[in-house]
Formats: sequence, structure tokens, C-alpha cells
Amino acid sequence: MIAEKVNYSKDVLLDPNCPHWVKFKGEKMKLSATPLANQPSEYIKATRDEKKVGKVKEVMVRAAHNGKEVFFHMEWLDAEKNLEITANDVFPDGASILFPIKPVTGKETEPPIDEMGKKDLPVNAWQWRSDLKEAQNTWAEGLGTTSWSEKCSITARSQWKDGVWKLVFARPLTVKENNPKKPESVQLAVGKTVKTGISIWEGSNGERAGLKAFSKEWKDLTLAK
Amino acid sequence: MAEKAKTAEEIAKEKRQKELAKELQATKERLRYSKRQIASVVDLNKCIGCQTCSIACKTLWTDDEGRDYMWWNTVNTQPGSGTPKDWEKMGGGYKVRFEGKVREPIKGKLPTRDEFGEAWKFNYEEVHKGSSQTTYLKPIGKEPEWGMNWDEDQGGGVFPNAFYFYLPRICNHCTYPTCLDACPRNAIYKRQEDGIVVVDEKRCKGYRFCIEACPYKKIYFNRKDVLGQKCIFCYPRIEKGVAPACARQCPARVRWVGWLDDVQGPVHKLVKKWKVALPLHPEYGTEPNVFYVPPLAPPRLDTTGKIDILKPRIPLRYLEYLFGPEAGKALTTLKAEMAKRRNGQPSELTEILIAKDWKGMFKPFDKDPLSLTWTRGKKG
Repeated sequence: MIAEKVNYSKDVLLDPNCPHWVKFKGEKMKLSATPLANQPSEYIKATRDEKKVGKVKEVMVRAAHNGKEVFFHMEWLDAEKNLEITANDVFPDGASILFPIKPVTGKETEPPIDEMGKKDLPVNAWQWRSDLKEAQNTWAEGLGTTSWSEKCSITARSQWKDGVWKLVFARPLTVKENNPKKPESVQLAVGKTVKTGISIWEGSNGERAGLKAFSKEWKDLTLAK
Repeated sequence: MAEKAKTAEEIAKEKRQKELAKELQATKERLRYSKRQIASVVDLNKCIGCQTCSIACKTLWTDDEGRDYMWWNTVNTQPGSGTPKDWEKMGGGYKVRFEGKVREPIKGKLPTRDEFGEAWKFNYEEVHKGSSQTTYLKPIGKEPEWGMNWDEDQGGGVFPNAFYFYLPRICNHCTYPTCLDACPRNAIYKRQEDGIVVVDEKRCKGYRFCIEACPYKKIYFNRKDVLGQKCIFCYPRIEKGVAPACARQCPARVRWVGWLDDVQGPVHKLVKKWKVALPLHPEYGTEPNVFYVPPLAPPRLDTTGKIDILKPRIPLRYLEYLFGPEAGKALTTLKAEMAKRRNGQPSELTEILIAKDWKGMFKPFDKDPLSLTWTRGKKG
């Protein structure tokens, strides 16, 4: 996937309906159920059916950057929007984009995408949830280890209309680390290629935590010069 | 046809999944481990259903927005639907196999807010200060259809053999908490120093698997803060040597608190030595650390209105349903010790149960909270 080089401002591209987005080629990414055997909970493993997990099967992803910030536009079908937790059994919709935090130079430095990374191979997820006002920066070093910071530089705008979610993530290419020894964010640069993956949570299907649809394999993403 | 040979990739995947399962088990064992276990005994023969425990808890922990509908401590009339409504039919807990070596989680239901009951407010202003002579005390807004203790004193049986008793409940701080096992974020753990089960609110993301999995339905969902919240056995008090509010405030001297392994303490004596204090629904497989002395009751009246001392008013079947197969034995022990006392013989068991020594019910957590300095912790 290529993140196209553009001259639009953040405000323009953050609009999920910005007409420029459809001009970019983008990529339809196939999503699968997360493997039940990898769920970090014996209860979830024993009580869920993998066939019913991962309701969203496909997501259209488009990427762009303006030299300072990078943007991801995601679009997927969802007949039933879940915006707020209005009852105990209501779960919000959600989406995230995942990156290895350290540069990947080969198979051995590639964090396992179906395990949310592992020790010394951390991953960074930019997360959006329909019930939260702000996007979250999260990182993990394996199943069940996801942590998040109070504040982050990620912005998200979303819109649900006529059975379609449209979501835009924006973030500066580089961000300051809270603890340089334990980085919590991916650092991007023009001309550089990184690995990326997508997750979608369908709230109406009870999806939350590791119960979600995800891209089983990393995709290359290059920020065009 | 011969089974298709596994590919190298499939073999590697299976191997990795086994490793992950092992890692998960080790993590959960670490979170479940505690050096000692604090426990409580509740004597159902003495509970008068006054809800002082519920209010003591509420004013201390759950009177703010988001928690206002929660009752970490409940008292319900038995037989009854309980809190949340019909919680005993909601599943959760474990199927225990191979003498406890294997615990298979059972799917549970996520109770609705209506099943718990909303936090309605009463029209006190209108009643006390209003000019209307015809108004009466009633909830403001939507008429509630259920709440904690909604079926108070309805009980069971048929006149003249009707019966009921009260069942106070808190989180059972189980030895095998299904909530802990269910949490995919490892946000729930037993405190190493006392075995109190707590939710780490910095890790909890409000996914609610714990609420599903708890067979006692003692975890609440805080919609405002998007968190699972539950009884914390007043651990900030425990840390200062003070018994939980529900126990200390009880005017009927119903609750004992202490270390389960303290052989000199009343909790150990009631549970382990005299075996009159039993866990609620032991078949749920979580090994609760709150125990109940089952209630005795007056005898039944027969069809001619005469006392039939051979038949208990509360059917043993019902007590066995609640407290397991040991309920009958516990009642027999209680009756025998009461008879001894009536005959002027000493009885350690009845001495403990009468609880003349109020402070002795909580040792070593018997400090007066008013003798200590308390500061409010930071939120979140």
C-alpha cells in the first residue's frame, strides 16, 4: 500500500467525506476472525465460537501524507451502528491500525501479528472506539499486555451513514516518546516502508478485546516521496 | 483414506498455541496466588434483614455517579429471585473435573441494568416540603420494576408453614475466581497479602467478560467510567486493621472476619473445625471465601395444627441447593451443640455464634476506625 504524497491540510483530510480520499487507489483488505486459541482468557476460549467472531470481512484502506502528518481512511460495511454503551450488553464499534514499533529487517524481527507482538518485538496500535471522544495510542508485547497512554498525538474522525462506517486517523509522522528506552509509538518517514495491519470490532456481534476481525498478515506501507 | 499429513506450518502453529496456553496458565496462576486468605462467616440464624450492611457499604463506596446503582453488599429474602433478578439461573463458574485439577469455564449471562435495578431517587422534597396533602413517597421518574431486595419477605412455603430467611452477599473473593480467569487484560488479581480479589482500574477496559463469568453476579458495570467494579472487602480498612464496614456495622453480630488459617480464630473454627459454615453454591466451582451458617427454623405444623418436630420448616432440600450436601450435617452439629448448652454443658461452637465478645469477631481486624486517621485516595 502506498501513502500518497499530498498537499492538503490536516483539517481537509480528517473529514471522512473529503472528496479527495476517493481519488486514492487504496487497498481492499480481507479480514479474518482472531484465532480462538490465542485468546488470553480460558473463559473466552471455552465460551466463544471462532466461526462467529470477526463479523466485518473486508475494509477499504486508503493512506496519504502531507510531509508532516500521515492519514488513514478506512471504510467498511456495518448495518448496525453502536455508538454508545447504552446497556450492559451493548458494545461499541471500533477499529485500529497496527504497526511494529521497531524496524523490521527480516522474519526474526517481525512481531507476530496474531499475538499482538511479543517480548522485545512490541507493536503499536492507533485505536478508535465509537463511544470515546479521542483516539488512543496503545502498545503491546504479546496477548493481554496492551497498555495505553493518557494523551496522544493521534486524531480520529468518524461517521456512520447508511450502513457504512468511514474513519480517518491522523498523526504526525514522528512523535516524541515518553520513555525513549521503551518506545510506545511507530516512527514514520517519507520514503520509508513499514508493516501495517487492521482490526475491526463489530459491537453488535459482542466483539471487544481480542474478539475482532483482523488482517492475518502484515502489509507493506510506503510513504511516497 | 489416510489422514492428510500436517504441514510444517500447521505443526509450528499447534506448537505455538500450546506454548501460549501454558503461558496463559502461568500468568493466571500468578494472579491467583495469595500467601494468606482472609475470609468471612455469616450466620443466617441471626441476620434480621435490616440492610445496615448494605447502607454501610453504599455510603462508603458506591454513592457517586456511575456506581449509584451498585450494591456491592446485598441482602435478599430467600427463597427469592435475588440480586440481580434470577442470578442463580445465569450460569458462569466452572465445571470441576478430576478432583479440581481441571476447571472448565461455563458460559454466563451478562445481567441487564433492569435485572439489577436502576438507582431511582425518591420524591423526598415533595413529601416533606410540598404543599400537597395527597402525595406519598414514591420513586421519581420511570416506575421501577425491580431492585435490590424487591421481593422482600415473600419467601416460600405455604401457611402455616411459610418460611423465609435473609441472605447477605458480597463478592466471595474466591480461591478460583472465574472473573480473574475471564479477563483478557489480566486486570483482575488476588492480592498476595490477603487473597482479596480486586480489579486494577488502570488495566480494566470495561469489556465485561468478568461480569458474564462470575456465577454469583457480584461484579457491576460502571457505564460512566467504563469499568467493572465490585466489593473490595474494604481492603483500605483491612490494611489498617479495621474490619469491612458491612461486618463492623452489623447490629446483629452476624459476620465474622479473619484469616482462614488462624486456628485460634472464629472463622477457622466455624469453617474448618466445626464445619458449620458453608460456601454458597459450592457446585459453582470457584471456592468462595465467604461462608454461611445455614438457618435452623421452627418445626412444621401438621395438618391438624400440631407441631411436627420431625420435619423442618425450611426443607433440607432447599438448604442443600444453596449450601451443598454438607448443609444437613451442619444443622445436626448446630442442634447438638445447642442441646449441650441447654443442658448446662460448655459449647465452644455456641459460644462463638452468640458472639458476646464483639471485637473477637474481627480479630486481628478489630481496630476502631474512629481511632485512626483516614485520607481520601486519588481517583483513578
